[in-house]
Amino acid sequence: MGVLSKRKKRRDVGEIPTASTSDVAFLLLIFFIVMPMKSDEIGLSMVLPGKATAESTVRVRQSNVATIRVLANNALTFEDTPVALSRLQQMIRERLAGNDQTVVVLETHPDADYGMMIACLDEVKLADARKVSLKTTKP
Amino acid sequence: MAFKRATKVGAFIPTSSMGDIAFLLLIFFIVTVVFTEETGLVVSLPRAEAGEEGLRDMISNVYINEKGMISIDDMIVRTEQVAGVMAAKVAENPFMIVAFKTDKETPYGVVSDVMEGLKEANAVKVFFNTDLNLPGVAY
Repeated sequence: MGVLSKRKKRRDVGEIPTASTSDVAFLLLIFFIVMPMKSDEIGLSMVLPGKATAESTVRVRQSNVATIRVLANNALTFEDTPVALSRLQQMIRERLAGNDQTVVVLETHPDADYGMMIACLDEVKLADARKVSLKTTKP
Repeated sequence: MAFKRATKVGAFIPTSSMGDIAFLLLIFFIVTVVFTEETGLVVSLPRAEAGEEGLRDMISNVYINEKGMISIDDMIVRTEQVAGVMAAKVAENPFMIVAFKTDKETPYGVVSDVMEGLKEANAVKVFFNTDLNLPGVAY
């Protein structure tokens, strides 16, 4: 028996399978492409009237105005009649059905909760009122 | 006499470099993606059903917490500073939308004062951020 025969044969080297690397890379790629597109901004949009000038001021007939008031204690009135939030949408719809030129004025007291004002604005939007004006009650 | 080809040559698209390309694209997207991390203020948004999606790129965030603290794009400001800060932003981007991320318990007076500042700065497009409406939950 010679020394040569004792020498080990070359071992098989273990390999890490790399066939799926490109799949992983593509998945990560898709993630990074899609991530910035994600939009979680949900809300109610409005356009404010801007600086009041003589030209921008529009006169509206009193009969075309429907006023919703949010009082300091978060109570609601529609055309000076106390109303529950759940009834508001229906009342605006009825008013719009009678006169499609109606401008809904949402007048909120400075001490009222912002959440209540948004709840009313939500109802106004749900009632498909196109002309909406925001007003603050003079304390 | 018909000659037969000894060996058939199979056509194939080499895909060994696909992983490299995917990784290069991946690196590009990882480097270019911008994760804006805004601290703002802690607010509990009001809920609304009529919420619509807003464009994130054009938005300037105004946080107002329940105590009436105002933060515009991570900068705490006083009510009287709103017009000045916003005028500078509108000059940069005339199509800017101001997103109100206001706590539902914030007094409306604060929001109204901020809106007056926006009108002065001619930042007229506003967006009232809301949460999705859940059944059985008051505003």
